Parts: sequence; structure tokens; C-alpha cells
Amino acid sequence: MKNTQEKQSTPFSSNAIRLSVWEWLIVVGIITILATALPPLWRGLEAFSPSVDYRIPYDFSEDYWLFKQCCRSVSDKGKTLVIGDSVIWGHYVDRDRTLSHFLNSLASDERFVNLGLDGSHPMALLGLIKHYGKTIKGEKVILHMNLLWLSSQEADLQTEKEFRFNHPRLVPQFRPQIPCYVESASNRVGIALECYFPIMQLARHLQVMHFGNTSLPLWTVENPYSNPLGQISIKSAGLAKEREADSQSRKTKGQTLQSLPWVEFETSLQWWAFQHLLELLESRGNDVFVVVGPLNEHVLSPDSIQKYRELLMKAESRLEQTNTPYSFLPLLPSHLYADTSHPLPQGYELLAEHIWNRLK
Amino acid sequence: MLFHTWVFLVFFVLFYAVYLLCRKTRFREPWLLVSSYVFYAWWNPLYLLLIVWSTLIDYVAVTIMERSSRRKLWLTLSIVNNLFLLGFFKYGVFVTENLNLLLARLGIPLTIPAPGVLLPVGISFYTFQSMSYTIDFYRGKIERERSFIRFATFVSLFPQLVAGPIERAKNLLPQLRNNPSITSRDIGDGLSLFVVGLFKKVALADYLALYVDRIYDVPSLHGGLALLLATFAFSWQIYFDFSGYTDMARGIGRMIGIRLMLNFNNPYLADGLGDFWKRWHISLSTWFRDYVYIPLGGNRKGKLNTYRNMVLAMLISGLWHGAAWMFIIWGALHALGRIATRELETSDFYRQRIPRIVKQVTVFSFVTFAWIFFRAASLDDAFIIISRIFGTVWSDPQFPLLMLLLILSIWFYQFLFESRFRTALQSSAVRITIAIAMIVYLFLFAPSGNQPFIYFQF
Repeated sequence: MKNTQEKQSTPFSSNAIRLSVWEWLIVVGIITILATALPPLWRGLEAFSPSVDYRIPYDFSEDYWLFKQCCRSVSDKGKTLVIGDSVIWGHYVDRDRTLSHFLNSLASDERFVNLGLDGSHPMALLGLIKHYGKTIKGEKVILHMNLLWLSSQEADLQTEKEFRFNHPRLVPQFRPQIPCYVESASNRVGIALECYFPIMQLARHLQVMHFGNTSLPLWTVENPYSNPLGQISIKSAGLAKEREADSQSRKTKGQTLQSLPWVEFETSLQWWAFQHLLELLESRGNDVFVVVGPLNEHVLSPDSIQKYRELLMKAESRLEQTNTPYSFLPLLPSHLYADTSHPLPQGYELLAEHIWNRLK
Repeated sequence: MLFHTWVFLVFFVLFYAVYLLCRKTRFREPWLLVSSYVFYAWWNPLYLLLIVWSTLIDYVAVTIMERSSRRKLWLTLSIVNNLFLLGFFKYGVFVTENLNLLLARLGIPLTIPAPGVLLPVGISFYTFQSMSYTIDFYRGKIERERSFIRFATFVSLFPQLVAGPIERAKNLLPQLRNNPSITSRDIGDGLSLFVVGLFKKVALADYLALYVDRIYDVPSLHGGLALLLATFAFSWQIYFDFSGYTDMARGIGRMIGIRLMLNFNNPYLADGLGDFWKRWHISLSTWFRDYVYIPLGGNRKGKLNTYRNMVLAMLISGLWHGAAWMFIIWGALHALGRIATRELETSDFYRQRIPRIVKQVTVFSFVTFAWIFFRAASLDDAFIIISRIFGTVWSDPQFPLLMLLLILSIWFYQFLFESRFRTALQSSAVRITIAIAMIVYLFLFAPSGNQPFIYFQF
């Protein structure tokens, strides 16, 4: 009794925000409606109809909502989706000089779609397709594997020392463990949840698209006198003109040949991810054609080339085992490479011809 | 483990599911204790040794005190033990640094090595809470708690373990003793407190920190207006941060059927420094009142002794906040402020003729000024900030308008809440709208990353 009296004498709070359970249920109901309705509503309002040769602008690489939009815009249209990292995206070339562009030229239609994402190593690509690419199920896919991701412990995300790699929000947050990925358990949970809740994806989309890839609070500190609401527009900035590509080949001649400390297939995280990606696509009914390479062997040391070719053979054996249609892209002349793995426009043209012939 | 993290949410969901199942059984308290220790060990499992040690000594001290004729000895043992823990872990570096400085001044070629230990989170809070139990028992205000598990739960109860409110045994132990009746009202209240606290911390305190840190990190690079606004923002940052934590703690408490005391009551509406300390960190100020100020004589032995006691209590309160001269200066400023307002309040003119709003703004300005010593990285920085604010080096402060708008809106809300227009804020539609707005803001625009609470360092 005494205890009850003491309990009742404790003042509640210094504000009037005291809701009963029923009022909380109303709040939860309204929030649920908003969280459910807002993403599709926004998607409808935000006019997004990408043209042929469209690719996600470099500055919006981390806007996975945009990727989802791209996937949605091409689903059920009989397209062939070209998926991969910056080699597919076309890091050193303009959007009308990419692999998918030249494939379209050969096909004389707009059949091929560039779904490459700059910096998307296989671990990230797995997360990207798993969570944001659900709408492309059943489509024809050309999946690129860049073996450069196996060229070192660092590229394979296996170093113990922390380092910043691309697209950490797409990699598995808990299993398999990525040794170089240092993030608090709490943030990992938050990132994992974002993959499942479109409202969180929309929030991130708004941040990337309208607030310079930062949060609203930070944006207001950078732009103290600007109106944050004025920044948000339903006009998708995702269709904005890209910056011009640096299509000049880096000078590789005269440089020391690179000796790459390749990792083994058996222990590679990136290869693990690639295999899982392949399985995922196949389980979703996608018609997958894998293309591997072409690495710029001209800049590799003989022992690196030898190891690379061993990896190619192993990759071939694995793809054979799973009956996956594949093609190893031919080595290009050295002047058609921009660096160790990215072709220049003419290089893409040659690769497109090779793939086109295989597809026929 | 911070309240505003996903990990805490997972922890709480697991804890709460089991708690609800066993709340009417004998497993309730052990479960609460184990969960509290897991919560605390999340920072560093070694910290558990300290809290268990402190708990054990106080439990044993009171047990023996009950039977012994040398009660004072056991009380002293308990206080010395707690103050030693606090002194060693919190003030070890400060004391050795100052001793070494003194030795150097005296030309004595001796250097005392500083203890290389980390400050355990929440040590200032749980040692004070535990001490209050032994003191209250000694004074005959409470009965001995016979269950060690219950007493250990009282010391380590996870919602208020690391940053208060510093509860009294008289309030908390009976609640732990009785099986809690968790009503739908408790759940609603708990959620209300938690969401408001979460909003204060994540949407407001962490937001203000972005500007405050930028300016206070290098004060010499900024003009007077920027420093003034950063100090103004810090006043609100520390309020939102600490009261946000307390709200969340109280909210969790409510959900498990435990009512923790109100710790903040719109302190920036205070119209006197005395009033301010009745509204700011109430559990600490009443602790100092009951265990320092009143034992020193309180206001019973004339004005001079009253003021001496006030100064001593405020200096110790300053030192409680941190082992640095800055906090002592901060405490001294508040002591002087309290004496000044107490003197003013004796005059009829001040009491009756000065409008309340003028007093409120004056108190807020004084408190804000004192925060400079609380926040500045060093004494030099504090003087740079003050000289620039009162100097002529004024330039564009680049203070976000949204920040200003948020602070003023909340200040206005508080004024309304304490006015006759309070009923307007109590309508269901207003409360629901505000709750929705807070949650939507948290979802869509809250800053990323989990900033620790400012008061964890104390």
C-alpha cells in the first residue's frame, strides 16, 4: 500500500507527451501506414524512366534505392541485364561507350541494360542483388566475374587490419565474417534492417540524392542558411547527367610489372560470394551467362600470370560443375586497357563482339 | 550498450520477454540482476569486479552495522571504500598530476606515477547510490535489506546504472521487493518516456553536438557570435543528452514496473539558481543536499555558515562531475550564483517587481556562461571563448537555422507547458501528432552513428 502511494507520488514527466497504450496503437498504426505507403508513393511520384545506356551515376553509387528503381524499370521487358562491377559500369568510359552499349549496337536494338555498379565487388554484388534486385527474377543476365577481386588479401577483404572498402552496407553483416570490416554490432543490425525495410531505404535515398550523401543534420551544418525541405524534389536526380569519364589509358608501359599476391579459391570470400550470387540468380529463375575477365595480363609479372591462369582453370572447372554457361573474355591488346582490369572504348567494342558471338 | 542502439533493442526484447514470464516468480530478481550485469559487462567485463566489490562491502557493512555497537566504524568503512574506488579510478590521474606540479614548484625532484586505469562507466552513480543506502541505514531511515540479490539489483539496476537517476534505497528497494504490477498505463507511460528520451538524444543532442564540437574543438578559429551560439547550443545539448538518457531510463523502468524519480524538470525555465538546482539533475542535487549540505549544517547556523555550506556542496558537486579544475570552477560559479540569487530573493523589489521572464532569461544566461567551463577542453580555451564572446571579433557564425528553430520551439513548448495553456498540449490529437512527428523524424533524418552520452564520462 505504502509502495503504491510512493509510486503514485512520483511525477511523470516535464512534458505532456504521455500516451496511453491505445494512443500508442494509433501511433503505431499511422507509422505503419506511412512506412508502407510512403515508399511506393514516392516511387510513383519520382518519375524514373532511364534511357538506353543509362547507368547509375557515380555520385549515387550508394543509393541502392536507385538500383532497385533501375531493376524495376527493366523487369518483364525481355531485356538482358549486364551485371557486374566497374568493368561493366564502364569506369573509364562514357555511358555510350560501355559494354552494354556496344552489345546493343550489335543487336540493333535496346536489349542490353547496364546494371553495373561502380565498386561492387562480389560480396557487395551478392547483397545488392539479394536485397535490391528481386524484381529481375526470371530475366536473362550476363554476370561478370572480375578475378582482380582475388588478387590480394585486401581485395578479397581478408586482411585483419581494418580498411575502408566499397559498399560496406551491402556485405553480409554477420556471416560470413569479414575480417577487415569493423563496425559496431548495433550499426550492423541497423544496416541489416535497412535491407528489409523500404522506408529505411527511402530515407537513405533522400540522403544520398538530396543531401549530398549525408544526413539532414550534417547537411544543415554544412548549409546553415538553406532550407532543407527545398532540397527534396520528386524529380529524380538519378537521371542527372554524369560527369565526363576519364577515358585516357593510364600509362602502364615502362612501369614495373605487378606481382599480385593471389588468394586461393578455396578460401576466397569474393569467390564464395560469387558462387552464392550465381546460386541466388539461378534459384530466382534467371537465365545466367557468366563472363570472366579480361585482366590486363600485360602489366602482370610472369608468375602472376601463371597464377592467374591457374585460377581461370579452377573457375572454369567450377562453372562446368554447375553447368553454368560461361565465356572467358579474350585478352585485349595492352593499349585497349585503362588499367589492370578496365578496358577503353575500343576494348569494350571487341569484348561486346566476343560476347555477342557466344550468345548467338 | 547504449539505449539508442539496435543492440540494446535486441537485449531489451530478450530481457523483457523472460522478465514478463517470471515477474511473479522468485526468478524475477536474479534475472534482473543477471541482465543488469550483462548490460554493464558489455562495456568491459572487468568493470563487474568493481560493482560487485562495492555491493559486497556495503551489504556486509550494513549487515554487521545492524548487530554491532560500533555502527559508525562500519559506516566509515563503507564510505571510505566507495570514495576510495571513486578517488582511485576517477581522481587518481588528477591528484597525481597536481601533486607532481606542486612537487616541481617546490623543487622536489620526485614524480609520482599516475595510475594508468580507465574510468569505469557509471562509477560515480552507483557508488553514490550504494553509499546512500549505508548512510540511510545508519540514520535509521531504512531497514536492512536481507536479500543480497535484491541489494545487488538495487545497486546495479540496468536502466539507471550508468547515468542515474541516483535512486534512494527508500524508493527503489520496496519496489524491487514487491512483485511489480505492470499495467497498460505503465507500458504506455514507459513508451512515452522512452520515445521522448530517444528523440532528445538522437534528434536533438547529437544534432547540436555537430555544431558545438566544430566550434569548441578549435575556439581560436571562430568569432564571438559563433562561440556564443555554440555555448547556447551546448546548454541545450547537455540538457537533451542527459535528460534524454534519464527519460529512457525512466521509460524502461516503467515498463518493468519500477518508477524511477524525475531527474529533470524543465531547468531552463528556472527563475533562480536555487530553482535551477531543484530542476536540474534532481537526484544528484538532492543527494548533495541530504548527504553533504545538511550534515554540514545546512542553513541552520547563520548566513555565513549557510553560504559556506552551499559553496562546499557546489564545489564537491563540481568535482563529482569530473577530475579537472574546470569542473571545480564551474561548481564555484554556481555557488556564487546561488548566493547572489538568494540575496536578491530577500529583496521585495526583486521578488515582486522584476518580471519572471527576466529572471528566467538571466538564470539561463548565467547557467549558459558557466557551461563554458564545463565544455571547453582547457582553461586556456575557456578564456579564449570568453574573451572572444565579450570582445569584438564577430563574424558570420554559420549557425544552422534549423537548429535554432528546434531549440526555440522546444523552449516555447516548455513555457507553454508551465503556463495556463498547458491543457492545449494535453489534447490527444496534439500528443499523437507530436509522437508521430518525432518517430518519423528519427526514421528519416536522424544523424547516423551512435554518440555516447555526455554524462557517461562522469
